[in-house]
Amino acid sequence: MIRFSAVAKRYPGGHEALRGVSLDVADGEMVAITGRSGAGKTTLLKLAAGIERASTGTVLVQGQNLGALGESALAVLRRRIGFVFQDHKLLFDRNAFENVALPLRIGGFPRLESARRVRAALDKVGLLDREKAMPVALSGGEQQRLCIARAIVSRPMMLIADEPTGNLDADYARAIVDLFTSFHQVGVTVLLSTHDEASLGRLGCRRVALAAGALAEEGAA
Amino acid sequence: MSRFLRLHASALADALRRLGSQPVASLFSILVLGAAIALPVVAAVILESAAATGAGLDTEPHVSVYLALDASADDAKRVEQALRGQPDVAAVKFVPRAQALRELQASTHLAELLAALDRNPLPDAFTVRLRTTDVARLDGARAAWSRLPKVDQVVADFEWSERLARWARLGEHVLAAIGTLLGAAVAFIVAHLIRLQVVTRREEIEVSQLIGATAADVRRPFLYHGALQGFLAGAAALALAAGFAAWATYELSVLTPEYAAELKVVFLAPAERAALVAGACLLGLAAAWVAVSRELRRFTAGR
Repeated sequence: MIRFSAVAKRYPGGHEALRGVSLDVADGEMVAITGRSGAGKTTLLKLAAGIERASTGTVLVQGQNLGALGESALAVLRRRIGFVFQDHKLLFDRNAFENVALPLRIGGFPRLESARRVRAALDKVGLLDREKAMPVALSGGEQQRLCIARAIVSRPMMLIADEPTGNLDADYARAIVDLFTSFHQVGVTVLLSTHDEASLGRLGCRRVALAAGALAEEGAA
Repeated sequence: MSRFLRLHASALADALRRLGSQPVASLFSILVLGAAIALPVVAAVILESAAATGAGLDTEPHVSVYLALDASADDAKRVEQALRGQPDVAAVKFVPRAQALRELQASTHLAELLAALDRNPLPDAFTVRLRTTDVARLDGARAAWSRLPKVDQVVADFEWSERLARWARLGEHVLAAIGTLLGAAVAFIVAHLIRLQVVTRREEIEVSQLIGATAADVRRPFLYHGALQGFLAGAAALALAAGFAAWATYELSVLTPEYAAELKVVFLAPAERAALVAGACLLGLAAAWVAVSRELRRFTAGR
């Protein structure tokens, strides 16, 4: 489970991205974070993934207080979380296959097992025929799907996605929403941010709205 | 294969791929590092060879005690007893004046001149071999023996060996200083090369950390890179030094064939060769560790 307790995040320079946010996400639950740009959605997701640390308050993931974990322990935790970055964070000097294989390489997976998993992940996002393509040769939507493939390749316990359908056309957005739903159905906790109303409707999950860094509204999508 | 071994195999493969991706640049940097390591090695070979040549000479301190020309056999006996009574004396050898003359005639071109003399101009003498190399004690013994009755002159032949030992010690210190300086230079160059690699791969490092790479995961391939560079530079240094030794051996044999037995180039022993390569490898590893850790701290601070 993910538990935010009175969490605030203040960046150097004084900008307060989150203010007193308390939120529980149960194991196997799917939650959509909504809100306008600058509402604090990305910050909330990064705190849940241990990419950033809360200024005050506590963030618990699987019972672990992320604020109390050292850098190495946080890094190991991140291996069990698939994160879909809004700006993709792809390596442009590696092809699609190598980008998706990166988490498995870090995890020390055997080569054959790694290749099998990478191809399965690429197949899930419809990029199996582009495994040799360099990211620069992929469209924005394909890069987004490649990032999703990298997030799911290590079969994470938790999937966190920052605007995963933001760069996708309607068909692929539907396919990706269905992919997240399928992960949710097999017990993976899914936390994602979106302001795509069509996707929200299709997800059919709990919806948490943020406004100016604070919880504004909670309810079913 | 365990996960641990797979991670290390992957890091080693990554380091080899990086070295192989720019073969010319890698080769030149390894040669430069190898030359820097080879310089003190060559100096050590020269010093070792000089020491080995010197070891063939009689460098033990000894003193010649010359008696007065009118000294009798009894006088000589008294002087010998006095000399043997000294604790620093290891051996005393009496050289009668007749024997000294015979040896002089045999070993020089002055035989005719010496034969023409109406009497032997050489005195009886003692050659005293000493246990100590302490200059103050040797000086004290020399002064004391000069005062013995019928002793005309005491000549110490140890100053040159002391000077040689001093030069050898100085050579060792200079060598240690040069070795330290060049070792630091090698470490600096490796660290700089690794730092460039880290900066070039900053994006990859940051993405890797975001998806679960620990600092150790990030550091590992760079450490292998540094260690590999050090290892190859050590091997290159060994090859360069061996080349120098072979060349010097050939030149000595051509230039001074009559001294071939005494003058020889002493190269590093197998254990020393292994230590050189292992040391260079460790130097590269340490330099890489410092460079990567420093850059990672900068990345983290910049976030």
